[in-house]
Amino acid sequence: MIEDRELDAWREQWSSVAEPTADFQRDFQRKVQQRIKRQDRRFVLGNILTVLGFIGILIFAWYMRHQATWMGTGWATGICVLVFVSAVARTWTLRRTWRPESQSTRAFVELWHKRVAARIRLLRISIYLSIGWLIFCAVLMAANWSIIGQDVGAHPKQWIVLLILCVLMQPMLLWYGVRWLRRRKFAELNEVKQILDEMDGKSVT
Amino acid sequence: MSDAYSAQVRFAERVTFVSERRHDLEAQFDRVLREHGAAISRLAFGYEAVASVREELVQDIALAIWQGLAHFRGECSERTFVYRIAHNRGLSHVWKRRPPHHPLDEIEESDQPIDPRPHPEEQAAQTDQRLRLMSAIQSLPVTHRQMIVLMLEGLSHAQMAEVLGITENNVAVRLNRARNMLKDALGAKP
Repeated sequence: MIEDRELDAWREQWSSVAEPTADFQRDFQRKVQQRIKRQDRRFVLGNILTVLGFIGILIFAWYMRHQATWMGTGWATGICVLVFVSAVARTWTLRRTWRPESQSTRAFVELWHKRVAARIRLLRISIYLSIGWLIFCAVLMAANWSIIGQDVGAHPKQWIVLLILCVLMQPMLLWYGVRWLRRRKFAELNEVKQILDEMDGKSVT
Repeated sequence: MSDAYSAQVRFAERVTFVSERRHDLEAQFDRVLREHGAAISRLAFGYEAVASVREELVQDIALAIWQGLAHFRGECSERTFVYRIAHNRGLSHVWKRRPPHHPLDEIEESDQPIDPRPHPEEQAAQTDQRLRLMSAIQSLPVTHRQMIVLMLEGLSHAQMAEVLGITENNVAVRLNRARNMLKDALGAKP
């Protein structure tokens, strides 16, 4: 048997790193149990909120539909289509990119890479959806100008504020938000690529 | 009436099955933590130098093991399963929390190291050596860190290949490279 003293010395140092005491172990288990309970609660709450949100949107759409104007019908249809398209786009883009952590590291990192790339694609889709939504709102307003025009004439200040908030702020927020998210996602993508390269032995720094 | 009764019975059986399954999982989880808790703590050293953050990382790993246990069908050994989760969670942690390298004086000792030593001087020297080793490991690229940590945990090449999802030959090559880098890093430390 070949003796590897260097490795034995390292292993000795390594094994004395952190052997937790019984008290520490108990405290640790208690904390983990607390986090499990918190996570269970979050899971239930998340599901309830999703269902409530979905019901809320349906109620809103139903309410708008019964406004008996083209405007109301348009909003209701637009919101339902937007929610549906967003949900489908998200599910479709992120399909098969979930990360079960019990896989090997290689498989995990490959899935991670796939997931980040999918999220970048999803960002691009969300830009198109937002632009589409703005155009839809503009068309809807133009088509109903005979109704809106009277209100604009009666309350011009409120409409100017609304115009600034909706038409000017939204694209600005969208632009900066998406740019920030894209930067973050590209940084993550580069990091994951680097890990994959290291695994393939392409680059060692 | 009988349909309603049998539906109630089925529901009660289902509830009993779910609660029993949960109880089994909890027992399994406690056992996994007892058996692999120390190894998980050591693995976390490879990914995080700061003690308080490392404790959170260890909790994260435990939580991920709990989530994974329900889907664990014994395709690999339990040890491999635990190490895979620990390393994958560690990788995610490294991404979320940069910079990866902490100099020697920033590394905090564990709160409860069981390391009874007769002489304080010897203890101090060994603590210093241990800190040097930890610092050197944490200065390595993350994939090399994984190799070294698994090697120090005493896994065979085949087991390492199973955890990392690469071939045994690749393990041998990368391990050799990682070991040389560790030696260089230890040599470079003051």
